[in-house]
Amino acid sequence: MARFKAGLPAWIAVIGLFIAWEAGVRFFGIREFILPTPSAIWTATIAVWPMVLDHTMSTLMTVLLGFAASVLVSLPLAMLIASSRAISAAIYPLLVVTQSIPKVALAPILIVALGANELPRVIVTFLVAFFPLVVASVAGLMATPPELIELGRACRAGRIQELLRIRLPFAVPFVFGGLKVAAALSVVGAVVAEFVGADAGLGYLIQTSMAFFRTPLAFSAVVILAIMGIVLFQAVSIAERILFPWSSGAETSAPPAA
Amino acid sequence: MIRFEGISKTFRGRDGAAVEALRDIALEVKEGEFVAIVGASGCGKSTLLRLAAGLVPPTGGATLIDGARVTTPRAETAMVFQAATLLPWADVLRNVTFPLRLMGRTAPDTEDRARALLATAGLTGFESKLPRELSGGMQQRVAICRALLQEPRLLLMDEPFGALDALTREEMSIELLRLWAARRMAVLFVTHSIPEAVLLADRVVVMSPRPGRIVDVVQVDLPRPRSFDQEGTAEFQRCARRIRDHIFGERAARAA
Repeated sequence: MARFKAGLPAWIAVIGLFIAWEAGVRFFGIREFILPTPSAIWTATIAVWPMVLDHTMSTLMTVLLGFAASVLVSLPLAMLIASSRAISAAIYPLLVVTQSIPKVALAPILIVALGANELPRVIVTFLVAFFPLVVASVAGLMATPPELIELGRACRAGRIQELLRIRLPFAVPFVFGGLKVAAALSVVGAVVAEFVGADAGLGYLIQTSMAFFRTPLAFSAVVILAIMGIVLFQAVSIAERILFPWSSGAETSAPPAA
Repeated sequence: MIRFEGISKTFRGRDGAAVEALRDIALEVKEGEFVAIVGASGCGKSTLLRLAAGLVPPTGGATLIDGARVTTPRAETAMVFQAATLLPWADVLRNVTFPLRLMGRTAPDTEDRARALLATAGLTGFESKLPRELSGGMQQRVAICRALLQEPRLLLMDEPFGALDALTREEMSIELLRLWAARRMAVLFVTHSIPEAVLLADRVVVMSPRPGRIVDVVQVDLPRPRSFDQEGTAEFQRCARRIRDHIFGERAARAA
């Protein structure tokens, strides 16, 4: 109940926005191929629902694979960077380079090199999503209080033990911060890849729809992408609450009177 | 038990300039003795503790435990920091057993001993709480239990009550004495508080800053068990005044 109450303003804002949108488009008589009403988007989506669902599943696959890849690569990479100054100095500039390259520019090259299949799309998704996760994880690993490190050293913990039993658990809240960003960016990455080379997916749906001025269907894909981003973000938050209840601030109970 | 022999320690600052933290420290702590170290900020008190813990090496001289040179952290010592430094992800019981688990020194009765220890510290019923659910005083009690569970022969305490409010601080001092009396390990206790040092210690080591040197060692001849009632006694006042004179007298002399 308390949660529902907390979410109420958000729901009112979203519903209000859609009502204003619907009313505004009708009132000003804006033509459908420029800005369709929410009801037109809904009608267009329902009319071809199985096809939309196929595209959604295709995109979701790319998003999840790309997200998984960024998790699998980022965490070990972050540990490597945090473990040594020299490695950090060597790897960090390279990472920044990968971030400076526009992924839209990279996508066609990858597709030529790797073929028009899932792999280049997953790689593009990964490239878009992994960087903030690495940065957040490194920040977490480095943020461990020096006294905690000293406690570990006083207990004669080696570097590996220190990393696995002190730094890594301490970094969990930071890692989840990065995971949330990465989840949202995975959706962006997948669509970027689909724009360049795909025969399915919501990015592909947007392109083909707009080629035929079927604007409502393109909007439908955009809305589904937004929902996908929100759901993934929430899934990460829920996973955090269940797996690491001490990490999220949600479960604070009042401290007892001393 | 532990002996500092002509210890000096020089740090290299961030700007490359050498900072002399300790000079010519000679001190011996006997088995079961409670020694407090007082001095103004920057007199190298904490550095001395870290030397004893084997966390930093001395620039000159040697730290000896039972005659053996301390080069790395040893099983005989355990440390309590100013902040409780508990693991935020582990409950109270797992925090207390963490060092032993880390060192692979757990025994079948480790958990039972931890529970018993928590009980003597008044923490029964809090075993499965997370650190953030505890007050500052309780967190520090957990940290002390964590150190005691290692059954150290030398307990190193770096301003352990420095972050607590005055009332909790007094309560904790008495409690610490109770825990110590039951075990009789040697304690090296760094503090800013002169009354705290006199109340707790057999001997109070007074240090002066820049570079850190020992200027006096005050023997406290108050009967045990100690209590705050003794604060009014002549012996308490004598010790406190002598320590204060060293610390403030030096400051006054420097200001003149």
